[in-house]
Amino acid sequence: MSSMPQTPTEQDIPATKRSNTVIMGHQDFLSVLFRSIGAELYKIRQRAMSKILLLIATLIMIITFLFPALGALANNSPLPQASCITDSNGQQHCTPQSLQDRARQVIAEKIKADISAPLRLPNSLALSVTVINLVGTIALIILTGTIVGSEYGIGTIRLMLIRGPTRTQFFLAKIGAVIVYLLATLFLLILVGIIVGALFNLTTGIAVDFSFFTAEWIVHAILYVLITALGLFVYSMIALCLATLGKTTAAGIAGALIWWFFESVLGAVLTAIGFLNKGPVGDFLQSIPDYFIGNNISALRDHQNQYLINGVGQATSNANTNNLSDMHAIIVLAIYLVVFIGMAWWVNQQRDVTN
Amino acid sequence: MNNTSLYDSNTVINTTRLTKVFGNLVAVNDLNLQVIRGDVFGFLGPNGSGKTTTIRMLLGLIRPTAGRAILFGLDTAYQLPSILLRIGAIVETPIFYPYLSGLDNLRVVAANSGMVLGKANDRRIEEVLDIVELRAYGKLAYRKYSLGMKQRLGIAAALLTDPELVMLDEPTNGLDPSGMIEIRQLIRRLSSLGKTIFISSHLLAEVQQVCNRVAILRKGNLVKQGDVKELLRERERIEVRIGQAEQTNSAFDVLRQSQEQGATWISNISIEQNKEGEPILIIDAPVARSAEINMLLAHNNVFASEIYPREGSLEDVFLEATTPTSALSIQHGMQRFAPIPAQIQSEKEKGAIL
Repeated sequence: MSSMPQTPTEQDIPATKRSNTVIMGHQDFLSVLFRSIGAELYKIRQRAMSKILLLIATLIMIITFLFPALGALANNSPLPQASCITDSNGQQHCTPQSLQDRARQVIAEKIKADISAPLRLPNSLALSVTVINLVGTIALIILTGTIVGSEYGIGTIRLMLIRGPTRTQFFLAKIGAVIVYLLATLFLLILVGIIVGALFNLTTGIAVDFSFFTAEWIVHAILYVLITALGLFVYSMIALCLATLGKTTAAGIAGALIWWFFESVLGAVLTAIGFLNKGPVGDFLQSIPDYFIGNNISALRDHQNQYLINGVGQATSNANTNNLSDMHAIIVLAIYLVVFIGMAWWVNQQRDVTN
Repeated sequence: MNNTSLYDSNTVINTTRLTKVFGNLVAVNDLNLQVIRGDVFGFLGPNGSGKTTTIRMLLGLIRPTAGRAILFGLDTAYQLPSILLRIGAIVETPIFYPYLSGLDNLRVVAANSGMVLGKANDRRIEEVLDIVELRAYGKLAYRKYSLGMKQRLGIAAALLTDPELVMLDEPTNGLDPSGMIEIRQLIRRLSSLGKTIFISSHLLAEVQQVCNRVAILRKGNLVKQGDVKELLRERERIEVRIGQAEQTNSAFDVLRQSQEQGATWISNISIEQNKEGEPILIIDAPVARSAEINMLLAHNNVFASEIYPREGSLEDVFLEATTPTSALSIQHGMQRFAPIPAQIQSEKEKGAIL
């Protein structure tokens, strides 16, 4: 809020002393903002809904890791050992049947290793993120829509705005709380995924090869997780914007979920139509999905995924599996964020909150 | 109004030509309001008179169309956060988070009121819960609270930061009589601690008991503002029942003559009819002058059957300020008349004129 010079007759009346039991904090912009974020997180923590959403996400994560574990167990039937005799010269002599059995054994172990690969790092990280992209997006849309829309729906926004924080601080506190909750949930679920995967992997008896685990890999893994967080954040901000515009929880949740769902459907439809209609119109239609949120998040993630799964050395040659460049994706996503956050902020500033 | 009084260091609330227009509706018009430090200020007006709109403007929930609102010498348009730190307020029905307990709600409010986070302020929260007698229900979910409990929690939230100015919009809504008494006692206690209290209410008797100054709004316009005692003194009157219409008219003439001869303490004289249809002489004068009036009438051979000294009430002040005259008379249960000509009166007594 801007300040205005006071006229000589307009004097700030000194404040009286408060009771000793009232412990006031610092009143600068950031202190007020951080306290507001703290209050928002306190509310989220006290909500049954946030705990239920987290529980559901954790259960889905465990169930998802159960599938490769069960698949590996199904391929775990013991095969007969090849019967070979080693002579005095140290040479092995196997019967033709034994050689076939051995080949089958190698193939079976390869299949088991492939099926159970998502249980082990680095693949378990990718599987965890895949689950989070689905479940986490829905959960965060619900949470964001609720924490913003319910302030209008219940009417508590009036209570908050007459207590001291400015509308901008109130608005930023919501975004701050979403970011903290998002990151905490993301890291927690990834940890759950990796641990559950490792535990299930014990049943396969396949050892984890940590040769991938280099400093460079860690950097790419962090980038990969942050890109996932960015994707969740963009959809959360759609929920925040729509809940603010609609002044209801339903508007935020339904709007963002519809956006998230129809974006992929529309992308597929436009690509198909574009493919069928050759020429400039077809090219134009096919290029539209390049500006969708999901496609740009996928582009960023795919590029990092190359490094994580194939290893840093191999990844560089396959870096262009997704046509969209990182720069394109970042610019598109930044524009989405500016539009949604900017619109919600402007409405929040201008709106009469008194109904 | 000159600048000296406008920005007096004791003036906690000062509005200058404060106006709010919604489309074609002027909700608040050119409002000049002054609340002095230590006041228990009653803000009165019928529904739709602009009370809540004014409070919303003072708290920065809506922006004025024109004019300024200065609180503690600070302009709400530019220094709202600093102002709000010094105010505790409830606007309309207080609303809190239904999934949180009363205690948790106050923790959230505390964090948003500039108080430190965490349990450091739990002692203060317990204090305010004690004040509104909700400590036993602190851990109960807010959605399970009764209307009265919600109202009390609202007051607790308003008192949380030990503010200098407490603004209460209809604080006794939903409270039972004992709850109302508690709120009245609480307001007196806060006032004795030097707090400035700003109450918007419909309950005139409540306001009369606790407020020292009032302002009355009607259709967005300030129609009265001042000291309660002075306003009530203006409304003191003496009712004299003489019986016969002719004698009543004589009494009217005697008093009018005295007024013209210098009895300035008589501000107005009129004849009204009580519910039984008897003429009653209404003299707008201090009740302490009752004996003097009796003596004056007796000196002129007019003898009163009954003399009633009537204390003024805020209700009278309010009705006078907010109701058209004809409606006012009906609400008093009386018809106001000019002195009745003797000829007509005699016919009326015969029942010819109803």
